[in-house]
Amino acid sequence: MLVRESRAVLATGLVAGLALTASVASCAAPQNDAKQTVLQIGAIPDQNPEKLNRLYGALSEELSDQLDVSVRYSPVSNYAAAVSAFRTGSLDLVWFGGLTGVQARLQTPGARVLAQRDIDAEFTSVFVANGASGLRPFTSADQLVELKGRRLAFGSESSTSGRLMPQYFMGEKGVKPEDLAGGGPGFSGSHDATIAVVQSGAYEVGALNEQVWRSNVADGRVDPDKVSVIWRTPPYVDYHWVVRPGLDDRFGEGFTNKLQSALLELSAETENGEAILELFGAERFIPAKDEDYVMIESVGRQLGKIR
Amino acid sequence: MTALLELHQACLGERLQRITLTLRADQRVVLLGASGAGKTTLLKLCNGALSPDAGFVHWCGRPHQHLSRRQRRRIGTLWQDLRLVEELSVIQNINSGALGRHGLFWALRNLLAPLDQDTCLGVMRKVNLDADLLQQPVRELSGGQRQRVALGRLLHQQPDLVLADEPLSALDPTLAEEVLNTLLLSPGCLISLHRPDLIHRFDRVLGLRDGALVIDAAPDTILRDQLEWLYAST
Amino acid sequence: MALRIHLKPALPLIPLLPGVSLLGILLVLLRDGHGGGLPLLQQFAAAALQPSIDPAVLGSLLNGLQITLVIAVLSWSISSVLGVGLGVFSACTFWEILAGVRWPAVVLRRCLAPLRAVHELIWGLLLLQVFGLNGWVAVCAISIPYTVLMARVIADQVDCHVSPAIPVLKGAGATPWAVMLTGLAPPLVQPISDHIGHRLDCALRSAVILGVFGLGGLGTDLSLSLRSLQFQEMWSGLWLLAIAMVVLDHLLRRLRSWSRMLMLPVAIASPWVALAWGTHLDLQLALPVGKWFMVFGNLMGGSQGLSAALEISWPGVIGATVWITLIAGCVATGLPPLLMLVWPSRASLCLQGVVWGAFRLIPAPLTALLLLMLAKPSLALAGLALGLHHSGVMGRVLIDDIRSTGFRSAQTLKSCGASPRVCWLYGPLADVSRAYLTYAIYRLDVILRDTAIIGMVGGAGLGWQLMEALSSFHWWLVIWIVMMSAVLTLLGESLGERLQGIWNSRAMAL
Repeated sequence: MLVRESRAVLATGLVAGLALTASVASCAAPQNDAKQTVLQIGAIPDQNPEKLNRLYGALSEELSDQLDVSVRYSPVSNYAAAVSAFRTGSLDLVWFGGLTGVQARLQTPGARVLAQRDIDAEFTSVFVANGASGLRPFTSADQLVELKGRRLAFGSESSTSGRLMPQYFMGEKGVKPEDLAGGGPGFSGSHDATIAVVQSGAYEVGALNEQVWRSNVADGRVDPDKVSVIWRTPPYVDYHWVVRPGLDDRFGEGFTNKLQSALLELSAETENGEAILELFGAERFIPAKDEDYVMIESVGRQLGKIR
Repeated sequence: MTALLELHQACLGERLQRITLTLRADQRVVLLGASGAGKTTLLKLCNGALSPDAGFVHWCGRPHQHLSRRQRRRIGTLWQDLRLVEELSVIQNINSGALGRHGLFWALRNLLAPLDQDTCLGVMRKVNLDADLLQQPVRELSGGQRQRVALGRLLHQQPDLVLADEPLSALDPTLAEEVLNTLLLSPGCLISLHRPDLIHRFDRVLGLRDGALVIDAAPDTILRDQLEWLYAST
Repeated sequence: MALRIHLKPALPLIPLLPGVSLLGILLVLLRDGHGGGLPLLQQFAAAALQPSIDPAVLGSLLNGLQITLVIAVLSWSISSVLGVGLGVFSACTFWEILAGVRWPAVVLRRCLAPLRAVHELIWGLLLLQVFGLNGWVAVCAISIPYTVLMARVIADQVDCHVSPAIPVLKGAGATPWAVMLTGLAPPLVQPISDHIGHRLDCALRSAVILGVFGLGGLGTDLSLSLRSLQFQEMWSGLWLLAIAMVVLDHLLRRLRSWSRMLMLPVAIASPWVALAWGTHLDLQLALPVGKWFMVFGNLMGGSQGLSAALEISWPGVIGATVWITLIAGCVATGLPPLLMLVWPSRASLCLQGVVWGAFRLIPAPLTALLLLMLAKPSLALAGLALGLHHSGVMGRVLIDDIRSTGFRSAQTLKSCGASPRVCWLYGPLADVSRAYLTYAIYRLDVILRDTAIIGMVGGAGLGWQLMEALSSFHWWLVIWIVMMSAVLTLLGESLGERLQGIWNSRAMAL
């Protein structure tokens, strides 16, 4: 018993000593208060982490070279968290989806849209169906009523292409979420997961981003016997860069405009630019305005995702 | 009469040294020895809770590890700390003595609604337990009542050989007498006691000192000095 | 009288009874089963053996693991220290000794309960609204519910370890503080230090779930890998997490075997180590600045408070929540004792420990996705997914309890000639059933909160509605839902207390 006690005393001493050293070390270590001079960029999570890290690592480097400021990428893995982080100033420049971008701008007065990809001006979603569901490709939007009583999966709850717009187009034809089997749609959490749950047969129909669908088909990750496209939505605007107000005060006059040009000037001709654009799945970035997203805003309000 | 239990040169660490012993079904044996002499260890060897380091312990000619359930249930043990199932009622505890004769399904049914009430009531009468206690959780019983429940469980097991580890310690004289009488009713028994005055109730006396078997004789051949030496400090 | 008692199942049977629900779930699975997802399941299983060893992936995962560990250790120690303090204050015995009344303890308990009713993920999202991306947001998000949960457990422990010496000490004229120190503290050291040790494991898992913030923790990588179905990358992360869990567990065991008294000093000292470590990582740990006006400005500005409450059909949503919670609770409680009965031996305990470790390791959303590969979505499936995850925790509790109680009772029954299964049923399982059931009731709380994270299986339940409201930044609805879950938690709690009363639970060795 005595040995145990003395061991305990020894160990307590050790722990206390360690804690003391650590706290001294923590005081001595540099604090992360250089935030003001660092451009914080972020993105909504819709790709695999390896790709996101590579993509935004390269982009941070490129922007840092072009603009001569340090750039830091913070991964965020929740759509709502990305919006909030943008509003509270933790992120300065964020790659948003259509809906989240509008939410972010409405919550952050003065924030503006900088750019979008060439494909974002006319973005589409696809409805995919499991072969066993008996659903055949639709010839007109009116056939969306066939979705009534089916098990349907969306992606993430805040996704524009994986939820908002598909739900809007269904609503146009009178298909409400309550009409679906199970009293409402399921949310797979991501576009890739939507394909998986539809392909397996757990859900009969799913709606997702067409770009993701195409890349999955190209990579051979889709079994064409089991799942196929039944309908493509009309085009709408989607992903875009949104920037916080007040960057000019922090980084110098005209910084926001320089940032915009840096994004727009990314081209496939430079090595870094080619890699970045390839990871974004685009040819180039094009200018975009707040007004482009009025339609998304009204759809968002209609479906209750914007208050 | 054939040997029920046979120990041959059984050793267990420092605690028991080369015990050789044969127990027959018709013998009532008392085990004496000072505290720490190895009585509990010897009893645990006998019921198979411990295995010897060297030598062997055979039950009906087979080593303990190879005993079937049917053979194992022929040895009953009254543990010093009783080892009742605290979360169960009196009847369920008494019934647990019969688990060796039944399977899992019976055991589950006994938990859902106690079985064999009449048999249990009979057992309770034998050990002088009030029939009102039938459904009482054993946690709520007094020390004496718990002792009787443990005894009842032992009786319900219907063993050929009873092993009991100091069953009379902490009992008042009346209860002690009653418990001893009940134990002596069984066909064969090995009971460890701190009561040299009771050896005449038995057929055979074993004496343990420092883990060695130093006395093995009929009670009337044992001398007072021998008993005193057994309890004397080294 | 006799008849009523006849139908009353004995306490050791009660942990097994929820297992009957597995039959129903099996029927549902058979009805809804489809083999369509087998290739994906194969991919998942194959990836376990071939995790990605891409240096970029591993580097990011290792960095994430460190951040997760720092957050876990910080929140664990903060919640342990505060939890013990609050726990003592919310114990009836404390106030009885101090002032001779009980009501302050009851009031404090009831006031703390709503804080517990909100999932750490939701706390995280709420705090994020005010403080932005900051390491402390994650730490607080875990610490708040954990502190209050710890306080509840500690208070229960204090009240059930009342020493008979207390009246004697009081009679001898000792001051209240002296009475508490001599009469109350000593028997509490073991259960409290055991529980504190157990919580580190939980904090680690919560920190992983909270990787949902942009804090770069391991959880971020895991959830992103899950979303893109990159199983190889995900398994690299899961294996790292498993190693971390095992190492931490081993360290804590070692610490406890050295001296139980050490647990609290370690909990007090570790945040400093974690802070020092955190400064070398990509983690914001500067003091956060709150921006309250945005959230409250929104609330004040809107006049839709009441109308928001009407947007949800409450009976359906609450019914689904309760149903999922019940199913998950049954699975989580019933599975570990059943497995133990199927496989009753001391040697198998280690293997069972590995099984439960695996269930704890795999996050509930992933379990849900894997189950969807086998069956169509239904409430039962959602419950099963949650229940499997939590059975990992319950299994660990069961095994720990049995190890600390010992195997004497199994030996007793074995010497009666009972079969191994019966030995375990009447032996170790019966011994620990009371403590196990008590813990199961605590667990129901956690399960109720966790319904938030499985929208995948049909988007049902209060938790899902809350995520939806949060993602729409619909603050009034958020408030209504949080209030409703608090009410549900409180109702569940008082029901649990009543059940405990029926089981006449007096001692709870956690």
